[in-house]
Amino acid sequence: MNSRVLPILAFFLAIAILFAYVRPTWNGPIAKTKASIESSEKTLTAAREYTEKQNQLASARNAIDPANLDRLEIFLPDSVNNVGLILDINALAARSGLSLSNIDIVNAPAAGSTVDAAGGGIGPVANANPVSSVDLSLSAVGTYPALQAFLKGLEKSARLLDVREILVKGSNTGVYTYQMTVRLYWLR
Amino acid sequence: MTQRQFRSDYSGAFGFLAYSVLGFVFLLAIGVFIYGRILATEKIVKDKAILAAQSQIDPLVVEGFVRLRDRLTSGQTLLESHVAFSGLFSTLEKIQPTTVRFTSLHISFESTNVPRMEGTGVAKSFNALAAASEAFATDGRIRNAIFSKITVSDEDNSVSFVLSATIDPRLIAFTP
Repeated sequence: MNSRVLPILAFFLAIAILFAYVRPTWNGPIAKTKASIESSEKTLTAAREYTEKQNQLASARNAIDPANLDRLEIFLPDSVNNVGLILDINALAARSGLSLSNIDIVNAPAAGSTVDAAGGGIGPVANANPVSSVDLSLSAVGTYPALQAFLKGLEKSARLLDVREILVKGSNTGVYTYQMTVRLYWLR
Repeated sequence: MTQRQFRSDYSGAFGFLAYSVLGFVFLLAIGVFIYGRILATEKIVKDKAILAAQSQIDPLVVEGFVRLRDRLTSGQTLLESHVAFSGLFSTLEKIQPTTVRFTSLHISFESTNVPRMEGTGVAKSFNALAAASEAFATDGRIRNAIFSKITVSDEDNSVSFVLSATIDPRLIAFTP
């Protein structure tokens, strides 16, 4: 009797183990853990690539002369700092022989606004949006050579300044009145 | 007798098969269990490695690189379109006859970002104005120069005018 019952029980026990433990464990926790490990490996690969890229970028940045990096920061600063700029423009005007009478903001940008390409802005940069700009209006009086010296000073200033508009009104004395719009930029 | 021997052989074969299957499944279950433990350990190791990698990422360093990239690319773009009106004034000094002078001059950008100039002036004579018009046309960088409201003075034959023109962008492009 036992010689018949025990093999049958063993067979059913095998089937029970297969369907109650082996199959659910393989398809459940093991499959999940394998997927999780695969995802972790992708993350680690990305982390290794990031580290390599960071090292490359650090090397490239270290290859740039720190003085040039400082100049670049002055060229396109992190903030508008228009008050400091007005002081610099005033000093430049005085050196050039031009007398500034009025300085004002023409189009103060709203917080977070960017350079407007349609309004004579800076084209491709407007799409990337890292740069903002504001226009300053200047009124000045002086001779033509003084204007030339002032314009050349603005054009070559360490901080990027674009003269967007200039109105010259003549006189018979050789002293002219000038109305200028100067655009300044900063990195948002 | 033969039938009983056949049954006995059949039971033996079935028993052997059943115990073999049980043994195989039992070994399989042990294998699955051990494999699960190995995977769990591997997962813990990977998680620790990810945490270590994450701790090495400094957001400030990343932001520094992003801002440097933005500063370089934007600076390059802005510099390429940097305006230098002094070049226009120098050109006007060179090509405009000395017998023609502006009494007012307005230089600006159109909505399409094309530079343009509008001015009023006085020429000593009509011929001087014609020479100025010819000079602008020959030079070619002050385009579409239209002289209008031309008035000849009865007193000294001087000619007043209004000039409207567009400017070749290369004329006001900054050159270091």
